[in-house]
Amino acid sequence: MTRAGFALRFATCASIALLAGCGGGGGSGAGGCSGDCQAASPNALTIADVQQVLAQAVFEAQARNVKATIAVVDRVGNVLGVFRMNGAAPTFTITSGTGATGGLEGISGLPSEFAAISKAVTGAYLSSEGNAFSTRTASQIIQQNFNPGENNQTSGPLFGVQFSQLSCSELNQHAAAGTIGPKRSPLGLAADPGGLPLYKNGTLVGGVGAIADAIYSLDVDIQGQDTDIDELIAVAGGSAFPAPADRRANQITVDGRTLRYVDSEALTSNPALAPPFSSIVGIVGSLVNVAGYGGSPVVAGVAFGTPASGYRPDTSPAFAGLNAYVLVNASNVNRYPPQGGIDGLLQAGDVTQILKSALDVANRARAQIRRPLGSAAQVTVTVVDTKGNVLGLVRTPDAPVFGTDVALQKARTAAFFSSLTAGAQLNALPPANYPTAPSSYVAGLRTFLNDPASLANGIAYSNRAIGNIARPYFPDGISGTVNGPISKPIGQWSIFNDGLQLDLVQNKLVASLTAGDDSTGCTGVGALTNGIQLFAGSVPIYRDNLLAGAIGVSGDGIDQDDMIAFLGFANAASTLGAGIANASPAIRADTLVPQGEGTRLRYVNCPQSPFNGSSQQNVCAGI
Amino acid sequence: MSARASDRLSSATLAAAALIVVLIFVLYALTSAGYAAAQAPPQKAEAPPVPAPPPKSLDGRYGLQVLVATLDVYAEPNRASVIIAELQQSAQIEALERRDAWYRITLSDGRTGWVDHVFGTTGPNFSVDVAPAWLRTMPSAAQATPTAAQATPPAALPDDWIVQRQPMGRPLEALIPAIDPNLVLPPAALLPRESIPVPDRWRLMDELGFIHQRWYDPYNPNTLKGDRPVFGEDWFVNLSAVSDTLFEFRQVPTPIGAQSTQVPQSNDQFGGSRQSLFNQNLVLSLSLIKGDTTFRPPDYEIRFVPVINFNRAQVDEVRVLRIDPREGTTRNDGIVAVQELFLDKHLRNVSEYYDFDAVRVGIQPFTADFRGLLFIDQPLGIRLFGTRDNNRWQYNLAWFRRLEKDTNSGLNDIGKPLRNENILVANLYRQDFPVPGFTLQGTVIYDDDRENRSVYYDNNGFLTRPAALGDEQLHSYQVTYLGLNGDGHFGRWNVTGSLYYALGTVNHDPLAQQKVNVNALYAVAEVSRDFDWIRVRGTGIFQSGDKNPFDGQANGFDAIQENPQIAGADTSYWIRQAVPLIGGGGVTLSGRNGVLAALRSSKDEGQANFVNPGLALVGIGADFDVTPQVRVIGNLNQLWFANTSSLSVLRNQGSVNTSIGTDVSVAVQYRPLFSQNIVLNASAAVLFPGAGLKQLYAFEGNKTQYSILANVLLTF
Repeated sequence: MTRAGFALRFATCASIALLAGCGGGGGSGAGGCSGDCQAASPNALTIADVQQVLAQAVFEAQARNVKATIAVVDRVGNVLGVFRMNGAAPTFTITSGTGATGGLEGISGLPSEFAAISKAVTGAYLSSEGNAFSTRTASQIIQQNFNPGENNQTSGPLFGVQFSQLSCSELNQHAAAGTIGPKRSPLGLAADPGGLPLYKNGTLVGGVGAIADAIYSLDVDIQGQDTDIDELIAVAGGSAFPAPADRRANQITVDGRTLRYVDSEALTSNPALAPPFSSIVGIVGSLVNVAGYGGSPVVAGVAFGTPASGYRPDTSPAFAGLNAYVLVNASNVNRYPPQGGIDGLLQAGDVTQILKSALDVANRARAQIRRPLGSAAQVTVTVVDTKGNVLGLVRTPDAPVFGTDVALQKARTAAFFSSLTAGAQLNALPPANYPTAPSSYVAGLRTFLNDPASLANGIAYSNRAIGNIARPYFPDGISGTVNGPISKPIGQWSIFNDGLQLDLVQNKLVASLTAGDDSTGCTGVGALTNGIQLFAGSVPIYRDNLLAGAIGVSGDGIDQDDMIAFLGFANAASTLGAGIANASPAIRADTLVPQGEGTRLRYVNCPQSPFNGSSQQNVCAGI
Repeated sequence: MSARASDRLSSATLAAAALIVVLIFVLYALTSAGYAAAQAPPQKAEAPPVPAPPPKSLDGRYGLQVLVATLDVYAEPNRASVIIAELQQSAQIEALERRDAWYRITLSDGRTGWVDHVFGTTGPNFSVDVAPAWLRTMPSAAQATPTAAQATPPAALPDDWIVQRQPMGRPLEALIPAIDPNLVLPPAALLPRESIPVPDRWRLMDELGFIHQRWYDPYNPNTLKGDRPVFGEDWFVNLSAVSDTLFEFRQVPTPIGAQSTQVPQSNDQFGGSRQSLFNQNLVLSLSLIKGDTTFRPPDYEIRFVPVINFNRAQVDEVRVLRIDPREGTTRNDGIVAVQELFLDKHLRNVSEYYDFDAVRVGIQPFTADFRGLLFIDQPLGIRLFGTRDNNRWQYNLAWFRRLEKDTNSGLNDIGKPLRNENILVANLYRQDFPVPGFTLQGTVIYDDDRENRSVYYDNNGFLTRPAALGDEQLHSYQVTYLGLNGDGHFGRWNVTGSLYYALGTVNHDPLAQQKVNVNALYAVAEVSRDFDWIRVRGTGIFQSGDKNPFDGQANGFDAIQENPQIAGADTSYWIRQAVPLIGGGGVTLSGRNGVLAALRSSKDEGQANFVNPGLALVGIGADFDVTPQVRVIGNLNQLWFANTSSLSVLRNQGSVNTSIGTDVSVAVQYRPLFSQNIVLNASAAVLFPGAGLKQLYAFEGNKTQYSILANVLLTF
């Protein structure tokens, strides 16, 4: 970043401040920032802010005569306060309500604080200065159809994202790491309404999550407006720190469909009249310190983008001018500087160029989930080698935090499934450690593709292709069809029981929830440490026709993620030469037409009108 | 052809075809039988008796009129004598003497001769009047002495004489001419004293031998065409058939399949954009009419118009034709549709000019204005209509409910429930206002849409109501359209114009996600002038667009169901082709055969959408009547969006330029028979995309978008 660049961005924020209160007081709900406010003028939740959120949430719960558990987190997932009202259900039950069984379905007895924290983290992680997404938004975009209930439509764009930010991810941090983020989420990302982001001065500072109904579920029917008690409590809690109206999910379209933010904001209480936190703590309920997460006493959030948050601007010359951010540890050292791969196929310089080219595409790309219109896509980009080692990770300033872990999951997923040993590695996993033997998925996939060499034949699987075979319907979304071979069939399937993705991590996840197992390594597969991901945004990368790793991108629309990975890498490859290239078209997964069904797998799907200020189209053609 | 479509088509088609054939034969048999019965001659005796001579005239004078084609005049009262002259049919002549069946007449040259009353085999050769009034007014050729009455001034006499006798065809006697074997007899004259019985006036021409009806001949009086009653005196059948064959080749921005693609390496959102379409409609129209079929409005009409359709579409990408990508890139479909089925009752005449009130109940065609801009459909309804003041005022009062449309043919699908929508129409036409030759119309249409109860998918599986747009919540709307329309000419300037204002509410707009007030405008004007065989046109269209999709105001105009006949109509690319808003929801920029940029899921099946970009169009065009058979039509339209904010929101895209582009089209119409019975149309249109369209779509290799149509219309 040049000095001039900083000055320009600062000026942009200043002008926005005049118009929309960028630098003003705490949250009128109107206006918003364009992704630069935080960097220009860092904001964070203070202890008093957190107490206000908790007090106002409690006040609404009282007005409705329910008992809730409420959590507040900052943007990187630090748990700032957890409050359990006296009489609140101590535990909750996981259920989709669809009749599906297996997986996490029906698990009960988990502390309500886990649900509250997961919902708060989801509100914070899925959002940014450009988009305010709630857990209700998450529910809308992870189901078997998008929109949920719209017959025969393809699955939600973030299908599978609920199984990210897991406790066993080595990328996501634990409480022991201090304020460094991104933090893990106990249950991954939540789809149960009642988790919202919190904003100050147009910048995202955290999230609030509430649970009062003891059910951790999702909204499978989006016709009509629900009155959800958890959501109303969260709305009250966030009322002093509301998302700017024009950044909310309901003003953001995906394929012309607006996303859902909250269904009802009809509060029973007037949050402004809520008694001070000091008058309720210990009386109405009490703060709870959740082991491994925190929550008592109340602490202040960290300003996102400062080293204490684990995210800061990159200062290395390698990414100058690209507005790059990196992850840092408590010592303010880049956690994932570019480095060479273990198998020697990618050098540090190659990785740097790949990341640079990806950022370059991202900075030009039209965002799909951001306001104001015309914003650039904001993403996390990561490169892994064939063993799943992180060879580098960079991001743009305001990319949503969830994409940090997800970009890595995607990269690892593509690298793993494209490898010649994927089938063997899965087959070698001890069935006893998994709810369903991973080898059964391999067998199913080989039958499905009518190729016993599948997962050993060098087919290049992008995350989009893996997504195609990881849906409860094949072709994706078409009712009455068979399930993809690494998905559960529709009768058993739910977001809490989705097939290989959950099966690989389920035992570890449950151990974390029930036994406080804080160790990393989710799956038992070394190259899939933080679990696999099932939605688009990665491609494997090759050197001299040998698999060298993969690039994974997450943070904006999935088509943008695809393009930034695929086109970004292609640009780098043409710069680097030396045999570095995308998969040859002949080995890509889109050459597969399984089961003679006439349904071809996809490889990538670059978006319409991909670049801001340009009428270029079809920019990925011929690559 | 998919099994489903072919089964449905074949069984339905066969059944319908069989029904039609049977119906035609029954009708024809009925009409023929009726005709034959009516033709039976009135008691012609095979051997006519010799007529008894009339009583002897009191004064010895007889009035004769020749009934046979020619009547020989003999020198003596027997047939062996010399023929001295010949009289032609209808000649009136005086006889002064009778001898049995022979009458002595005086020829114009003063000679006398005899004619035989009974000669011949089919009847009397001439009529005999013993006291002919006409004769009394004439001076007797035999009386030298004028009577007192005949002594009136001679000046008056020839006039009177002429007046009375000229129509009778005089003079009709002839001296014997040289026989010309090629002589063609002159037409038979009207005989006051003789009538040839015919069944009714409808068959007059047949009876006289001028017409031989052939059931397949629409050009001559034909019972199947309502030219003669089929039973009774005033029940008519009108049967017609139209075969409409369409070939269409086009290039339309096409998305690749989301979960499967036709070809590998489909890496981008836009795929192959070539599409072709074949559509065959067989339109049968059966009317049963009671009443006069000429000037006076009929008393009753029952009309049934079934349409047998087959259509086939081919595209480059999967999931375009049907939502399931496994169904591939070809689609065969068909339907037997009912476009009209109504009873029309003439309630009363209200003036001597046949101004009337009538009511029509059933599935009936209706057009709300002159150019099909707001509402043109074949809905179910009850319509009260009529005229006043010698047709200068015309009115319609109607309630309609649209039928669900068959997705791929656009025809009425009677297998589905009616649309849950009430359309109330009141309009008034005033002819010759403000100037003769111009008709002004005012209209109020209330569209009460209540389609907020259940979700509706079209036949291809795509969500249609509510549209796959915004929050997809079921919604309803109540919108009133106030319209002022005019059509006609001011001097040599042909002018048509429409101005509509829409106001109302949508209870939940899917983008605004709240109740919105509709305030929208639509203005259309076309001016043309003829220069000999060339008509030159200028067209302007403005459709207001929405400024802020998220506020409580909806300012984009949308019609109920349009099929605009303006600016090149279906030969223009923009109007003809439905361009999907790829990546912006399950809607199209403008519908097929629609000009409005309305962002509807379907012009036929979708709900109106008042949050849309609107449109501005400026066009010029010309019609060239190259020969009476060939017309060449050219149009050049420049198009813009009125406001692209809704497009920006739906595509999550920064400001989109308003320029749509330039639409150039040429059409040729050929009518080999100089009539509408055979019409061949061909047209080609090209849309050169403007900056806005380029920001929205990929145009392969910057290729322009084309639309080519070939159409054969055969009408019986």
